Amino acid sequence: MLTQPTTDKILLAIADDLNAVVAPAIRDEQAKVLLGQAEQLLRRLSRRSASEIAWMVEEIAQIEEATGQERSQADGESLLLSDVAERYSRASQALAEAIDEAFESGDSQKLGELKQVLSSRIAREQEILGQLDLIGRG
Amino acid sequence: MRRDDKHSTSVQSMQDPKVMPEKIEALLEANGASDITVGGYEAMTGGYSRLMAQFEASFTIDGTSESGIYVLRGDPPEGTAIIDTDRTQEFEVLQAVKPHLNTPAARFLDGDGAHIGTPALILDYTTAESTLPWIEQNGVRSLPEKLAELAGAIHTIPVDTLPDSLQRPSSGDPLTDQIAMWKHTAHEHVEALPIFHYVASWLDTHRPPSVPVSLVHHDFSTANMLVDDQGDLVIIDFELASVGDPREDLGYFKAYAQAAPPDIIDESPEAFLNRYREITGFSEDQVNPSVLTYFLVLGVIGVVSQLSATGSEMARGNTASTNIAFTLDGLLFGQAAWMAATDALEAALDGEE
Repeated sequence: MLTQPTTDKILLAIADDLNAVVAPAIRDEQAKVLLGQAEQLLRRLSRRSASEIAWMVEEIAQIEEATGQERSQADGESLLLSDVAERYSRASQALAEAIDEAFESGDSQKLGELKQVLSSRIAREQEILGQLDLIGRG
Repeated sequence: MRRDDKHSTSVQSMQDPKVMPEKIEALLEANGASDITVGGYEAMTGGYSRLMAQFEASFTIDGTSESGIYVLRGDPPEGTAIIDTDRTQEFEVLQAVKPHLNTPAARFLDGDGAHIGTPALILDYTTAESTLPWIEQNGVRSLPEKLAELAGAIHTIPVDTLPDSLQRPSSGDPLTDQIAMWKHTAHEHVEALPIFHYVASWLDTHRPPSVPVSLVHHDFSTANMLVDDQGDLVIIDFELASVGDPREDLGYFKAYAQAAPPDIIDESPEAFLNRYREITGFSEDQVNPSVLTYFLVLGVIGVVSQLSATGSEMARGNTASTNIAFTLDGLLFGQAAWMAATDALEAALDGEE
């Protein structure tokens, strides 16, 4: 398997070519909007593809610590994207339930701890998102 | 239908200038028009949810001849829409609000798509300019007051004059309904959304004083406003309208402006709030900067729930388009904005204590 250039670099190169070469040749307004959306998506996918499995694994551990769950054994678990995403969603559900309980019980200290996990998640989401340009709207 | 059988983009169907004039003629004829000519059909951009095109037409209806430019607004191919709304309801709402608002008239409806090939309506064309380019050229000027007047005009339309088909708060309390929608959206999404849980509980514990229900546009943003040659705001696109808490529109406006600045309200908040309170009769307790921050979060759930549902369908392999994936990324922007708003409001409330 050839791993270089890595997926993130290839996606970025495609986005750059779409922007520099294809976009100027497009005359149809709707196609321009679609191309602009595709280019933004490719840049976000480039950032995601480089790190998303590592980010999910790290955040699962962070959630388990914040919610007082027993740490899952990462060694030997599947690293297929769909499997990690499934484990991440289960951990997210546990976090959601812990948030509901903290609000119901008025446990502001616990809520503060859980919010720290949300803040970390948001920081990474912003890294993925980059600049938001609502191309073609308004 | 398998996913592969469907169109994968929304640049399809209604956008063919060779076939559409004939279809429009059929729709006009079915509505009693005669001496019809249609031409100059051209696709338009400007929105993500529906397909739009403009065309020239002349015809006679009810003994009166008219000619001009019109707009066709229709549903995209099945499975590619980012939100699911109804053209018949939109047509009824537009007709109900036209006497009260500066909005292009809805003229003809093809509710089942029998003539156009997709559910669609025909509107009068407006020469008004898109708001953000207008601001770039002219500055904000008196738009804060104009925005207050537009919002006030929408929110003082008598509710009993609105179509029965328009959704009303099922619990009797619009805030309860909207908070329930946050929870429902989190529950139905294809993966767990802990930030939605946080937001729902936070909204429930920070409710502002209530106001009477009104028409709510639900996509009240500069993307759906134009500026006419009098400098007045024209409002378009009522596809998400329902009856609810009017302050949802104010909050939604601020939320959208974070993604597509400037925030016209922030240019002159007191001028906006004073004029809005004057028109609606709401008190300072009911409408103030903190309340707007609350609704910045609460007011987006109508659109957010639709984007979430469509994104989930794409994840499940039931639909796909670049547009769906692109608009779903708006949730990344939104989650940061909502959490920042809850922090800002809590800091403001702590300062008052």
